[in-house]
Amino acid sequence: MARHFDHMFKLLIIGDSGVGKSSLLIRFSDDTFSGSYITTIGVDFKIRTVEINGLRVKLQIWDTAGQERFRTITSTYYRGTHGVIIVYDVTNGDSFANVRRWLEEIQNNCDVVNKVLVGNKNDDPDRKVVITEDAQRFARQMDIELFETSAKDNLNVEDMFLSITRQVLDHKLRTASDEQQKDRIIIKQNKNKGKSNKCCS
Amino acid sequence: MERGSSYPNAADTSAAAVPEETTLSIVQQRFKADETVHLIFEAYQIKGREHFEGLLTLVSSSSGGTYAIISFSLLRTPLTGSNDLKINKVFPINTSFKLTTDNKGSKTEQQFELCTDDDRPSQYCYHPIRTELGSDEFNEFCAEIDSCKRTMWDGGSPSEAVLNFRWLDDYREIGEVKQELKKRESEYIVYKDIVIYCATWNVNNRPCWDNKNTLRPWLACGEKAPDIYAIGLQELETTAKAMLNGNQMQMYATQWVRKILENLHNGVEYEELQSVRLYGIMLIIIVRKQLRQHIVRCRVNSVARGVFKTLGNKGGVAVSFQLNEANICFVNSHLAAHMGNVAERNDDYKAIDMSMRFEENGLQLRTINDHDHIFWLGDLNYRIQEPIGQQRPGPMSDAQTFELMLQFDQLRMEMSYDRCFKGYTEGEIKFAPTYKYDVGTDTYDTGEKQRAPAYCDRVLWKGKRIEQLEYNGVMEIRESDHKPVYAIFRVKIKTRDDYKYKMVLSEVLKAVDKRENDSQPQIITDRPIIEFGLVRFNEPVIRDFNVYNDCSQQVDFKFKVKDLPNDICEKWLHVDPRSDSLMIDSARSIRVRMLADANSVTGLLKKICSTSDRCDFDILILHVRSGRDIFITVTGEYQPSCFGLSMETMCRTERPIGEYTLTEIKELMLDVTPMYRVPMPREYFLLIDYLHKQSGQLKGIFQSYDRCQPLSSQFNAVRDWLDTWSDDKFPGTPQTAAEALLLLLDLPEQALLEPFVDDLLATRSKADAERYIDLLSEPKRNVFKHLCLFLCEGIERGDYDANNIATIFGRVLLRSSKCNVTIDYHSRCSEFMQRFIRIENPDTVVGGNGLSSASLQT
Repeated sequence: MARHFDHMFKLLIIGDSGVGKSSLLIRFSDDTFSGSYITTIGVDFKIRTVEINGLRVKLQIWDTAGQERFRTITSTYYRGTHGVIIVYDVTNGDSFANVRRWLEEIQNNCDVVNKVLVGNKNDDPDRKVVITEDAQRFARQMDIELFETSAKDNLNVEDMFLSITRQVLDHKLRTASDEQQKDRIIIKQNKNKGKSNKCCS
Repeated sequence: MERGSSYPNAADTSAAAVPEETTLSIVQQRFKADETVHLIFEAYQIKGREHFEGLLTLVSSSSGGTYAIISFSLLRTPLTGSNDLKINKVFPINTSFKLTTDNKGSKTEQQFELCTDDDRPSQYCYHPIRTELGSDEFNEFCAEIDSCKRTMWDGGSPSEAVLNFRWLDDYREIGEVKQELKKRESEYIVYKDIVIYCATWNVNNRPCWDNKNTLRPWLACGEKAPDIYAIGLQELETTAKAMLNGNQMQMYATQWVRKILENLHNGVEYEELQSVRLYGIMLIIIVRKQLRQHIVRCRVNSVARGVFKTLGNKGGVAVSFQLNEANICFVNSHLAAHMGNVAERNDDYKAIDMSMRFEENGLQLRTINDHDHIFWLGDLNYRIQEPIGQQRPGPMSDAQTFELMLQFDQLRMEMSYDRCFKGYTEGEIKFAPTYKYDVGTDTYDTGEKQRAPAYCDRVLWKGKRIEQLEYNGVMEIRESDHKPVYAIFRVKIKTRDDYKYKMVLSEVLKAVDKRENDSQPQIITDRPIIEFGLVRFNEPVIRDFNVYNDCSQQVDFKFKVKDLPNDICEKWLHVDPRSDSLMIDSARSIRVRMLADANSVTGLLKKICSTSDRCDFDILILHVRSGRDIFITVTGEYQPSCFGLSMETMCRTERPIGEYTLTEIKELMLDVTPMYRVPMPREYFLLIDYLHKQSGQLKGIFQSYDRCQPLSSQFNAVRDWLDTWSDDKFPGTPQTAAEALLLLLDLPEQALLEPFVDDLLATRSKADAERYIDLLSEPKRNVFKHLCLFLCEGIERGDYDANNIATIFGRVLLRSSKCNVTIDYHSRCSEFMQRFIRIENPDTVVGGNGLSSASLQT
């Protein structure tokens, strides 16, 4: 395959069963939404390339099964992930309560990882039970950015994905420049060494 | 599209080579309007053990004048549209192109290799199909390539510069996105007018500070202030002394640039973009300040054509750059002098045209002709060659005179014969010949040589969207024996509309991504959950499920190896096949066998105990190559049996194990309190009691034991007899009972004498050992003592050999789960057992008055 991107990142979508993980992915990758619910039995992925600050970033987004029985097996998919999208359903309090557990999963299975918290199905105020303020407070406490989205009405979905991508990209660029900095210091040291040798001789 | 209309060869072969007329038209859609697909040859590639169907297409470009083979892989068969085609390689048919056949391959696979440039050869295979005429497709394919080569090379071997393969760049590694962007260029490209001022002047070795007069009549003319100035000077200083003194020349050059900058159009801020100088030949590019930021990839180079073709008194210099999306090139040349040297001038032109290269990606790749807009100016030195004795028909106007003279202009003649400046255009000349004047005057050469006036100084152009506004000589500048010439152009520059470009780019990226997503291999299963129902110990159950290829390409699948248990599935499962390929529209059945037997039951029970909710037997990961993973849940209900349970668990039961549910048994298994309903599991008692009553038939029943051996055919009946506390007659033989007894002892996760195996092996005497035996849990202790007593009886009766019993039971009872088992481990186990099955003092055993069922009553 010809390489037509500057960076490639792996993102992972996790959260309870039925919160709309697949719908978010399909909305972002294909810009479509289907009302019929099909449980994800396994791990699906889609790609999408986006431009951020003139850099072309190819995203490989993994959508995992949310069912409890798959918990152990999905945890193996956390490896090599650059960013994790934790989804709950704003109309389902339990799914929000379980976010803590999902955060633990991340902590147990990944190294440094960029995260974003997503309250999906934010399209019917009457059915909303997880109020924004509570979610926001929790997100701040956990130091995660919160997005309330609707895959159905295409609200905030693009912004959310772009935000996590930006986070991952910034993280990578920062790490890369740190590395460079390190290299530079080493070179400097070597130079000094050469100089001092000369002086001695 | 009319297939291969101008290529009769292609028409013959393609009828056979192309399965359907539409394939060719689909392939044609992948190319631009001036590119023609002549032939399609079906070839496949083998990578690993897989075949990849593909098409090799022979394509020509009319703008490049060249042919190439483009290799496509098929994302889907049959082809439904051009999106199903993916370019995987491009082979320009250039001098290094090679097609090598390899007949050494296997008989069913005909192979050949394509190779071009410095790349590694690519191997292709094809199915030999013979046409009615008897010759096969492959030969026709080769013949067609040969004929293309002949068309291009025309017998000789022209240099690569003449044939142009740049059109192929759109199909090379730069990828689908760039290709798509190029295809949709018209949607985001707009054209912006810019004014380019080109000028040339042979300054005849006059340093510019001699030139007190202004250059403004020359450089500041024209109504509109130019956006770009390209000013070519010749003969800055041609004396040998100056030529050898680089510093002096450089000083002259700098002075000239300064002088020119001072004399440009008023009211506009200009800056020097780039200057290039080859001795006395200098080209200065000056641009509007605000234009500078839109200029990238500015490159310069020069070609020397002077004395010995290396010195720079003749030759050319050039500047290349990209302004917005347009590539622009300016050339200033000073060609061979003197009336008779027409051929030399032509040669100089050709040499400059061919050898001038600009750096691109670290290589000298870009030629003059690789630009959208080319302006060639300079002292080209072509003269007016009037026939001897040519008479002027009376007095003429200036215009008439110039017209007459231009009929004999060498440049025009040579251009008309295509001997130089092929493809270039020159505007109408309405000015007087610019050479040769007496310096300081407007009078033609009155010197000794009396040179005939000539149009030495010219400006030519090549490229699209160029309109000449003015072309003139400047009489009032008299410092040189040449008059300066200038030409003003309006050029429509290709420019990217950033907003529209972003829109198109985002659409293109989406489309390319969509293609990738859609081409993801897909399989579906008819059952994501394999339900085994009730599964019993030592009874295999088989379930089949199907996987279907749900896309239009071959799909490879395999079950993924998991970290735990470092296999695709748990020990109690067997999956067949572990991997396979599915052709389009095909399905295949996958068999899963569940068997909780001597080798796996312990693990299964352990998993059941360690799972908080209902335990699935396993989850298989069905992995589709370059696609998604599907989880196949294997589940069911395990019917608990005494086999595999610990003595302690069995002692907690109050009814036959067969009457318990798995959940109930799990509770008992997880119970760690030392509270037991019976001192010893009833199942052991039942077996030993049965054996005890069979005295006389026990000879050799403990001859050998191996956990991995298949169990006897009556085993399951014995299992049920034990799990139901049956009152019926024992359903097997003493041999079966012995087998069951050993299994009962051997299967629990902990050996009977755990956790004191190491301590016991370290003891020297029976008395020492008994201290540890007393520390065992009550059920274990009782089973051990009861067992020893029973074995002693048998040995005493001579039913079995003490050594043999010690070896077999020692290994089972002292089974160690640790890896650091010493070499003499087995002999030490046997030695330990010997101490307990010797007949010396049977009174030491609890309830030593023989085996009675009374001891088990609670």
